[in-house]
Amino acid sequence: MGLRDRGPRTPRVAVDTGVQLVTAWHLVGVAAGIVSMLLASRSGDDALPAVIKLFMQVFSIAVTVAHLAAAYGTFRRMRRARTVSLVTNYLLFVVSGSALLHQLGAFTGIGKFGTGLNKAFLPFMVIVVGLLWVLVAGQLLSKNPLAAGPNGLRRAGWGLAALASVWFVIAADPSGMLSMIGDRITQPLTLGTLAVALCSGAATRFMWQRRVAVRFGTSAAEEQTLSGLAFLSPNLIGFTFFFAGPLLFSLVVSFFEWKTTGTGRSFVGIDNYVRALSLDISSSDVANAGNEVLKPGYQVLMHLDWFGQNWVLGARDVEFWISLRNIAIFLVLAVPASVLPALVLSSILASRLPGMKVFRAIYFIPSVAGVIGVAIIWGQLFQSTVGWINYLILRAGEILPFVDPPAEGHPWVSSNSTALLSMVVVFAWMNFGFNTVLYLAGHQSIPKELYEAADIDGANVWQVFRRITVPQLRNTTFYVLITTSILALQLFDIVWILSTPEPGGPNNATTTPVLALYEEAFQGNNQGYASALAWVLFLIIFGFTFAQFRQQKDGATSGGVS
Amino acid sequence: MSVRRKGPKATAIRVATYVLLVCVAVVVVFPFAVAVTTAFKRNTDIFTYPPSLVPKKEATIPAADVGLEGDPVPVYSFPDRDDRPGQWALVDGDASLAEFRPLDDLERVIVLDVKAGEKTGETISIDGEEEDVYLVDDGGAQVEAYRSRLTSGGLFVSVDDPSTSVLDLVNFATPAREFGPRFSNFTEVLAEKDPETNGKGVGRSLTNTVLVTILVVLGQIITSILGGYAFARVQFKGRSTIFLMYLGSVMIPFVVLIIPLFQLMLQVNWRDNLVALIIPFAFTAYGTFLMRQFFLGIPAEIEEAALLDGASRSTILWKVMVPLARPAIATLATFGFLYAWNSFFWPLVIINSGNPDNAVLSLTLSTLGGRSSTDTNLVFAGTVLAMTPPILVFLFAQRYFVENSASSGLK
Repeated sequence: MGLRDRGPRTPRVAVDTGVQLVTAWHLVGVAAGIVSMLLASRSGDDALPAVIKLFMQVFSIAVTVAHLAAAYGTFRRMRRARTVSLVTNYLLFVVSGSALLHQLGAFTGIGKFGTGLNKAFLPFMVIVVGLLWVLVAGQLLSKNPLAAGPNGLRRAGWGLAALASVWFVIAADPSGMLSMIGDRITQPLTLGTLAVALCSGAATRFMWQRRVAVRFGTSAAEEQTLSGLAFLSPNLIGFTFFFAGPLLFSLVVSFFEWKTTGTGRSFVGIDNYVRALSLDISSSDVANAGNEVLKPGYQVLMHLDWFGQNWVLGARDVEFWISLRNIAIFLVLAVPASVLPALVLSSILASRLPGMKVFRAIYFIPSVAGVIGVAIIWGQLFQSTVGWINYLILRAGEILPFVDPPAEGHPWVSSNSTALLSMVVVFAWMNFGFNTVLYLAGHQSIPKELYEAADIDGANVWQVFRRITVPQLRNTTFYVLITTSILALQLFDIVWILSTPEPGGPNNATTTPVLALYEEAFQGNNQGYASALAWVLFLIIFGFTFAQFRQQKDGATSGGVS
Repeated sequence: MSVRRKGPKATAIRVATYVLLVCVAVVVVFPFAVAVTTAFKRNTDIFTYPPSLVPKKEATIPAADVGLEGDPVPVYSFPDRDDRPGQWALVDGDASLAEFRPLDDLERVIVLDVKAGEKTGETISIDGEEEDVYLVDDGGAQVEAYRSRLTSGGLFVSVDDPSTSVLDLVNFATPAREFGPRFSNFTEVLAEKDPETNGKGVGRSLTNTVLVTILVVLGQIITSILGGYAFARVQFKGRSTIFLMYLGSVMIPFVVLIIPLFQLMLQVNWRDNLVALIIPFAFTAYGTFLMRQFFLGIPAEIEEAALLDGASRSTILWKVMVPLARPAIATLATFGFLYAWNSFFWPLVIINSGNPDNAVLSLTLSTLGGRSSTDTNLVFAGTVLAMTPPILVFLFAQRYFVENSASSGLK
């Protein structure tokens, strides 16, 4: 196939000269690391938040130590030194490269690019179509994915994209952006970052070469590890910065009282968790007693009547407990409503009658249509005076004797009793199609012989469904129940759009844990407490996930989870 | 199931099956039908009872049809004197009319020309006022009535028979409505946000969403290919540990990450910027698994042959593995597209300045269609615009999508 590396030709620097340069570069790095360590620990600089300061100190120390080790190792031509130098330089390259892009405004420039794109949307779409054509042309006209495809057609796609690009640049008018970049790149700090990025990049490029590996005597296993990490690095860096780091930070913050701004942050231990979960129960002589019968700081959650005695249940965070109650009710209603139809429908769709694929596609559409649009549509359907739901109930009442429509249109989402039920309807409508497809995968693993045997024995449709399909799909059912529950526990979007008169209304009838979290964090600015709520919610969800993992480990996974 | 059987009973079951399937399909499709038709309606048309799936406008006929010149004439629908329903063109909206009330039924109103009726000379006392009694024409019969009010009203001409005309109060008549989609809903909702022109700025949100979606999908594809390849094909120290961490990450719900990610975005000053919707989401553990699974399935011989040929790993990846992995990449792209296009919670948190230049579709729609919603027709036009791309993508990429949502449990 002649697949040779045809990278750009690197200048043939003699290996030893190159390594000496890299050593020198590492020594510069040590000096710079010490300077930045001193800068970071300088007192009196209150502009920087403590966390950032700490991060900078740790980072500078790490950089200094890594550079020191790399300088010494490369100077002595130690076997491991190449790895240390490569990792140091690569990470430094990524950090300084990101910092450079940040200083040039490349990241926030994406927002500004949106403005240009808005002005030049049409040529942009032409570019997209052209490139898609290039991608698809080969596949459309040739079954072999390795074949290059008819080149003329591809070239037409490239040509189209190129022409549209010129049009795009003219229409989008990037002169403002270019002059901004020009202004910024001449600033000393930016130039310094640029120099660091260039040096570390060049050092990485040099040290990566095979002849350098030979000079250092790198083992094959080490070479493998390096190339594995190199391939994984974009993913791993993202994973660290946008998943693992934030996750740890979230746990830390949940033990603090934490505001968005720097002031008002203090360590409170497990107080946030205690506050969220505290309940108090007290007996009282009068029905509907108020907060006064509870401990200070508690509010009435609900009144109970047990064995002729009035009890008052109170909580410190009433809204969170109400949201837990709501989500429990929601779970009990919405999960069966989205799973049972899926079980029945999948059994029909699995029968290979003509037209089944069409129905499958139709049922799937609500789950891809986007929850905001779906909620807006259902808001109109639920409308009390001119909504379709009330109208259809009214018409059904004319035909069917057992339907008793209310005299006036029922206000579905603004009535305490039906608000949550309305959310259940929307959730089930959105998710049953997805579950149907999950079930269809489960159906594929049911042995056909079972049905044939039932056929011979003269079993009827119900018997086949009850005695074969349902038991055989037990694992799938479990999987579908769990995933749907996890989704239901995080109910937010539907409520955000549909509930009135405010999100979670009326009278907290549709408040959910995620909504409570959102309000605490971003409207109440209690980010520490909200983080604690998030972890409580996570533990609840984790219970479900854990059950699923246990099941997967135990039984044969006909749940289609590979 | 027992569908392969023959006989009348099997046929009955089969018919019942299809009836059930069609009923469910109607339940699924109907809300979309409501959305699409509402998107073409006039706002007043949405709030009429009973609800209808047909966008209507107020009917007019050309002026020449009723012997006039100029603008089309509005058509009203009301029963004539003999209670037969009819369509009437309003040829003069400012005719001088008189309201008469028959003495035997003072609740009834007879509307006639101001010069109609003959005074009988008698008077009658109504609410303490002396009123003249007239003899007026009431559908052929002459009745005694008093003139309760002078007013202006409409001269209507029958649409079917222009020689027939009646006088009536315009506000007593209901405008006739006919099929009339309003296409400008779409241009208005797309237009730049402006209270004067009623533009809603959805066009800008649409470009932003397209930009964000494309970049997220591209980022996810690239990082997942690289990561998936590393996990599948390169033996390196710590691989299984890292992979286990990736597996575990799937268990963490996004709500746990919201607050720290928000803090992070504040620190790097990415709040209220589209980049906050792109970079953090260009990495996906799901996508990495998907690509890893696929690469594991490609025979090792292909790779070994290329290695012997002297190709480097990255050459092998891009020239050999990636072309083979097109189906998996298509799946990944479809999932990434739907995720990025429809995501709402994170944009709500991070793009919250109300500046329409930074908003994405889901956010703009939630503001437009939320509790203080006006212009429902425009909201639905926006909703239809927002829903069409994901539905189209789903329909075209169904093959990848349905198969893989089942096998990987992606949600």
